[in-house]
Amino acid sequence: MNRALQILIGLSGLLFLVMGLRWAVDPSGAAEGLGMPLMTGLAQSSQVGDVGGLFLSLGLMILFALVSGRAIWFQAAALLLLNIAIFRLLAWSLHGAALAAQMIGVEIVIALLLTGGARRLSEDA
Amino acid sequence: MLMILSLVAVSASAEPAASTGSPNIVLILADDLGFTDLGAYGSEMNTPTLDALARDGLLFANHHTPASCAPSRAMLLTGVDSHRAGVPNIPEMIPPDQKDQAHYQGVLGRNVVTLATLLQDRGYHTYIAGKWHLGSRPGELPSQRGFERTFILADSGADNWEQKPYLPIYEKANWFSDGQEAELPEDFYSSTFLTDQTIDFIQSQRSDGRPFFAYLPFQAVHIPVQAPQEFIDRYDGVYDVGWDSIREARHREAQRLGVIPAESQRVRMATTEDWDALTPEDQRYQAKRMAVYAGMVEAMDFNIGRLIDYLKQAGLYENTIIFFTSDNGAEASGQPNQGNLPSRLAASAQGYRTDYEDLGLKGSFNAIPPSFASAAVSPLAYYKFYAGEGGMRVPLIISGEPLDWQGQTTHAFTYVSDLAPTILELTGTPAPGRYRGGRAVEPMQGRSVMPLVSNPSGEVHPSDESIGYELAGNAALFRGNYKIVFNRGPIGDDRWHLYNIAMDPGETLDLAAREPALFQEMLGEYERYVVANQVLPVPADYDARVQVILNGLHARGAKAVLLGVLLFALTLPFLLFHRARNKSGQSGPAA
Repeated sequence: MNRALQILIGLSGLLFLVMGLRWAVDPSGAAEGLGMPLMTGLAQSSQVGDVGGLFLSLGLMILFALVSGRAIWFQAAALLLLNIAIFRLLAWSLHGAALAAQMIGVEIVIALLLTGGARRLSEDA
Repeated sequence: MLMILSLVAVSASAEPAASTGSPNIVLILADDLGFTDLGAYGSEMNTPTLDALARDGLLFANHHTPASCAPSRAMLLTGVDSHRAGVPNIPEMIPPDQKDQAHYQGVLGRNVVTLATLLQDRGYHTYIAGKWHLGSRPGELPSQRGFERTFILADSGADNWEQKPYLPIYEKANWFSDGQEAELPEDFYSSTFLTDQTIDFIQSQRSDGRPFFAYLPFQAVHIPVQAPQEFIDRYDGVYDVGWDSIREARHREAQRLGVIPAESQRVRMATTEDWDALTPEDQRYQAKRMAVYAGMVEAMDFNIGRLIDYLKQAGLYENTIIFFTSDNGAEASGQPNQGNLPSRLAASAQGYRTDYEDLGLKGSFNAIPPSFASAAVSPLAYYKFYAGEGGMRVPLIISGEPLDWQGQTTHAFTYVSDLAPTILELTGTPAPGRYRGGRAVEPMQGRSVMPLVSNPSGEVHPSDESIGYELAGNAALFRGNYKIVFNRGPIGDDRWHLYNIAMDPGETLDLAAREPALFQEMLGEYERYVVANQVLPVPADYDARVQVILNGLHARGAKAVLLGVLLFALTLPFLLFHRARNKSGQSGPAA
């Protein structure tokens, strides 16, 4: 059971690392993958910096969590993902954005996995 | 006639800045339009606007262009051979062996001066709305090549209904507006949108009274072949007779119109399938594919009509000269069985459907097969990419009130590089010499077609002048009425042939054995062309379609490899740490 959880969390960590690195290597493809155009000028700087940095950090946190066995890394990554899902819902309900149900679902599932990881895989548990 | 001479005289003697008397120039370029795809050339398609331009202007029956788009566009805008202009082939098809050479990048070189630059320096407003395909990086876009206002597609093609690439070699459809990446509107349809852009450009600056040069390179009728439903519906049932009947009917009509000699013959291409062997269901599907193509041609014609209506309402038409031509012959890349499962899966991978019901509409991929492409270029042999007349001979119409060509047809041999010198002469703009701004540049090689003003039955190129051509290993040399031609296999036979294309535009009778001296002399001329223009051979196993895929994989694969290396570099410390931790845990003292 713990092994399966480790693998699932590890794969999600690698996924976020790839998504983050893609903003550095192929920003237009990365933007398209998230349903947005690649912006220009200062907007592009913010887009590449914020989104790329967010995904890369998320991936690194998950790898730190798995390697160190510290619950705080699992929890930090889960918190980030839950907040992303919450802000997606806010964008939909308050500002007329599309309801990205699939993305929200993935984010919540991974956040739950990370919460489970904090309980079962960490040495602090 | 007097009007034209006085126009040229006024322009030539004018000050460096163009005056309000200088003619406006509209240069319209269709993409992959076949030789007989217009009514004026013998088509069954409804093209009233272009037919009217031909009735009021001069129809060119023996006009030639390279058989692929980017080389043709480079020559159109510079009047210089494609090899000298840095675009001997489209960049997507250039093999690695050739890509090592600076003049084989598929990007318009800095050693050539564009028509737009020359006209801008003359005081013209210069606009482009449509496909550029001569470079996509900063510094290579038309904003940096003499165009004042631009809205362009940098790629070889793209979807006509939305901002979407049509081939997996592109990550996205690369549109640019005034040098910046651009997004297309929700209600985009290429021919409508590009015409609107052109009208907006002209309208936004017309108050200052300066003349304009508007270059309008449509996406029509490049793949994906797509059209609005109302235009497709007009051809319901028209193509049920099959490709052979259409090819024959167009041949007869072109003969009747005097576009080609009455005694000319045609060959049947080996790639043409037996229409009668198809099931009724397959015939219905194939006919729909061509109906969409015809609808796309008519939609383009309709939008050219809108542009002309605007010019008339704005009082600009009387002083505007319109050029209409195609970049090469009809494209035959549609799979014969576009509707079968493998083709449907391939289209699906690119996010397209190929269902009969919505063929040509948004989300649908369509292309005509070789059999119908052969009808689109009737009665010529071969089609796009090949050096046969079907790939190289295209429509050209020059029209406008400042000219007084009234529905005449010329059989003079002309080449795409002749159009830039013609426009320079019409606008009184000096051609570039060997140096410009302290830098060596290529002088224009084409010849103005203006001698046809006084004598449409005369010639532009002397009968002893040789004009060489090479693209992806297919080659030709024109001299007077004669042409030697070489088409690579498997569709070509990898042999040189000699034809009299004035009498035999269908290239049916090889004269190489009958006129060996002329044949050898022209082969020698071609070798001199190869040396003078640094034409590189293609690898023996070169296949243009395979090369497109390989170049696409290389372009996209390089990013994937870099991503993999970075991922490995990032995860390696974690793996090493994890391994060391496990090891120390295992070797530790037992509890």
